Amino acid sequence: MDCLEFRRRLGAEPQSRDPALLVHRRDCPACAAAWERAQAFEHELQAALDVPVPKGLVERVLLAQATGERQLQYRRRHRFGYALAASLLLALGMGGYALHQRDAGSLPALAVAHMPFEIGSLDLVRPISARAIAAGFADRGIRLRGPLPAGVTYVHDCPVGPYKTVHLVSRIDDMPVAVLYVPGKRVPQARDFQRGGWHGRIVPLQRGTLVMLTDRQGARPFDRVAQGWRLAIDGSGAARVTDRPVQASGLLAP
Amino acid sequence: MKRLGPVSLFVNPRQRQFEALTRAHAGDLYRFAYWLCGQDALSQDLVQETLLRAWKSLDALREAESAKPWLLAILRREHARIHERKPLDTVELDEGIAEESAWASPERHGDAAELREAMSKLPHKYREPLLLQVLGGMSCEEIAVELGQQPGAVMTQLFRARQKLKSILQGDRPEVQHGLS
Repeated sequence: MDCLEFRRRLGAEPQSRDPALLVHRRDCPACAAAWERAQAFEHELQAALDVPVPKGLVERVLLAQATGERQLQYRRRHRFGYALAASLLLALGMGGYALHQRDAGSLPALAVAHMPFEIGSLDLVRPISARAIAAGFADRGIRLRGPLPAGVTYVHDCPVGPYKTVHLVSRIDDMPVAVLYVPGKRVPQARDFQRGGWHGRIVPLQRGTLVMLTDRQGARPFDRVAQGWRLAIDGSGAARVTDRPVQASGLLAP
Repeated sequence: MKRLGPVSLFVNPRQRQFEALTRAHAGDLYRFAYWLCGQDALSQDLVQETLLRAWKSLDALREAESAKPWLLAILRREHARIHERKPLDTVELDEGIAEESAWASPERHGDAAELREAMSKLPHKYREPLLLQVLGGMSCEEIAVELGQQPGAVMTQLFRARQKLKSILQGDRPEVQHGLS
């Protein structure tokens, strides 16, 4: 390394500890003196650049960062809360829809939905013949086992939802009661229901279910109607129906 | 007004790293920013913005040794971004610190004051690599990478920066670029 190269390197990188630089400094007094001057200048330059840092700068930066971070967490928590609430609403909506769908497929719902098509049958007052009633059941492959109840004014084989039913009307004390016998469908227990302006009762029989409906006010003779049709469909060996008010636990007596 | 919960006593490692980074380098970042733009308030804003950006991408920092060049690079980009938005007013570099008691102490007068004035007159193309070297402790190669230049060109700029400073200090005498002074 010659003096020119040494001075170039010294001017550009005075802090360099390149061995070639140090060797030339050792061997050349003029360049050694230049190196000393360069170091002094660098010292002055460092001091000149070393401007005082404003007090509290670090703390202000940390405060800004911590505040921003906590605001971010706050927004994240809120977003999570909204997402959770939306999920719950969706779950509730889906649950409600599922319940509604399940309810819409229930026998009471199907029976009530069927009634507008047959609403005129409740106004019939003339009893029909035993042969017509037996024929109505025979169309569904059912043979009646007991005496028929009195005051039957209508019989028809009606599809109710997925079920093939025998639709009857029993009139007792001038109160018409629509009766849907659903063969092959079993329900666990008897229960009353009320929906869409209709009052009803659902009663399990030996090989099917009886659904009784009326839209009239007053004493509803569901017990007597059920007793009559139980005897006719199940026969004399069937359980009897009491006249006690209907509870959710059922109304059948042994 | 939004209510925030109590500050947690637990400080995660990332937060600790950021605090250490800030305490270790905020001073040098401020000095670099100050000599870059010449304004105290803007320099503080640049430091804060730089460190907040560093916080967001802290996972990119793999080695403690590369923290300072990394931060200086972020600060340079922030400074350039501000320049793109609006041209800055020209401010004398030592205007904002002239009354600082620490700075105005007797031992700071004299050569240092003249050198600061000379720095303020140093063209940006010389000042920036010189700052990266003296304040940032970066080598020619590192500066070349940061500035997107060849190492040889950076060496020339650093040489000329010092020559120019000396020239200004000596009363703007003609610059001696490669002579043996």
